[in-house]
Amino acid sequence: MKDIIIETKNLTKIYNGKIKAVSDLNIEIKEGEIYGLAGPNGAGKTTTINMLITRISPTSGTATVGGFDIVKDSLNVRKIMGVVPQDFTADEDLTGRENMMMVSQFYNVPKARAVENCSNLLKMVGLEEAADRYVKTYSGGMRKRLELVIGLVHEPKILFLDEPTLGLDVQTRTQMWDYVKEIQEKLNVTIILTSHYLEEIDELASRVSIIDHGKILITGTPAELKGSLKGDIITLTLSDQKGVEIMKSIPNVIEVSDSGQNTVRIKVANADESLPQVINYISQHELSTIKLTVQKPTLDEVFLEYTGRDIRAEEGGTDARKMAMNLRRVRR
Amino acid sequence: MSGLGPLTVRELKKWVRNPVFLITGLLQPFFWIALFGSAFDLTKFLPGASSFVLGGAPNYITYITGGVLTITGLFTAMFAGTQIIFDRRLGPMGRFLSSPIRRSSIVFSKILSSVIRIMPQVVILIVAALLIPNGLKFPHGFTVIDALVLITAITLISFIFSSIFSVIAIRMENMNSIFGIVNLVNLPLLFVSYAMFAPGMMASWLSNIAEYNPVSWSAEAIRMVIINGVLTASQWVQVERWLGGLTVIAAVVLALTAVLSEREIRD
Repeated sequence: MKDIIIETKNLTKIYNGKIKAVSDLNIEIKEGEIYGLAGPNGAGKTTTINMLITRISPTSGTATVGGFDIVKDSLNVRKIMGVVPQDFTADEDLTGRENMMMVSQFYNVPKARAVENCSNLLKMVGLEEAADRYVKTYSGGMRKRLELVIGLVHEPKILFLDEPTLGLDVQTRTQMWDYVKEIQEKLNVTIILTSHYLEEIDELASRVSIIDHGKILITGTPAELKGSLKGDIITLTLSDQKGVEIMKSIPNVIEVSDSGQNTVRIKVANADESLPQVINYISQHELSTIKLTVQKPTLDEVFLEYTGRDIRAEEGGTDARKMAMNLRRVRR
Repeated sequence: MSGLGPLTVRELKKWVRNPVFLITGLLQPFFWIALFGSAFDLTKFLPGASSFVLGGAPNYITYITGGVLTITGLFTAMFAGTQIIFDRRLGPMGRFLSSPIRRSSIVFSKILSSVIRIMPQVVILIVAALLIPNGLKFPHGFTVIDALVLITAITLISFIFSSIFSVIAIRMENMNSIFGIVNLVNLPLLFVSYAMFAPGMMASWLSNIAEYNPVSWSAEAIRMVIINGVLTASQWVQVERWLGGLTVIAAVVLALTAVLSEREIRD
């Protein structure tokens, strides 16, 4: 088992004495993993990150990052970690490379090494041609990529990525995912990723915690969380209603239900294992099938299961939005 | 791990790369010496007595050069804090605060760059004052020591006011608040001082207050070396008192800035 690099104990943040953004958070993050913190806006993700990167101090509880206490030893925490915040931080009046060089000076990276790091990182995210242009000429996607490598210029052991693809189009988002994976593989950094795009967490994270109302609801690998639902769905459309009745008596499944229009919905623990059995049963009874689909649960369904709410609905929901806005306001 | 160097270089790069900012800043002292030199020249109403009122200066431009230098420093310095608000609103502040740099160096970089930006203005202003008709004259020469007094006074006055206005901006979110404060205090600081007018030309209550205005101290110290060239012992005592006063204020402001910016700066 790998060493634990970040540990929080009852970490709590209360804003203005009443808004409980994070409450009694206990997490352990292992060295070298991509750890995802998933939850809707206002769930407490950014507040958690901001405490860990020492931008704000906790109301109570403790946390260590790389063995350093985030309150007593905040300077050392800042030395070993890199941050890619939600908002843009690059200076628009400087070039991409100048921004990176300036930040590397904050960490006393020797000049030759900094020059080399900048070139390599800019190449990695495809910004080498734009490197000497002013940042104000960059597109949104380019700025996000620049933020990503600014956070890496001093070779941190730990990288915090706060909503790295917020506001990006789908194509740019998948591109960012590739960069994040490449960074984790090549540079061997521990990455803490927050996102309210659950498919992003699913794609990138080796372990994920679902957070809501400032509390961790469940932690595990994305596969474990999805597996915990025990509910792959096999949907079968037959040529007539008679076949539906026959399918209803199929053995060794969790549940079979008639969903109308000659269609049955079969819930199984694991579709990969159950599918051959279903197909055998169909051919045994000489049924003619029109359509067969397999649906595995996504993290969205996991979120639904544990919070009782749909994460997408949350985005339009006034409560969560208000909470997120309040948090944003008090965080400033 | 102070960060002061790279942050100051950043400020200066932004200054040099913004042509409007750069050129207006450099033109401003020229306008001031030319316009103020004519507009406020009350000695034309005092034929014969002007040299007495002006403390021995051959003309009004020579008299106010010390004042205009000081005011140029002051007005540039008062905007040092605006960059802190920009950094907070546009994002770089978040990066600085999560870096292992001293938080005070964020503020001191604004102060330092502001003091540096004032120096070319000083040179341009002196050249302009020398070039205009009936302009700046050094009746008794100008020594290296005089130049040092001038630079020290300008450096101290710009440091003091850059610091004060940067500290004000540490927790401020709205640019307009800074502009409001600048507008509130700039003219009083200018007119309740000996920058433009000799004590004899002012109402006595105004003159009494002006005596304690650091703007007066800087203006008077520079004026003293410009008019007299080589100073007598008693004139030195006065210059030392003015520069000493400025140094004490600068030291207090330095300490205050260091403590407050470490503790209070926010994202």
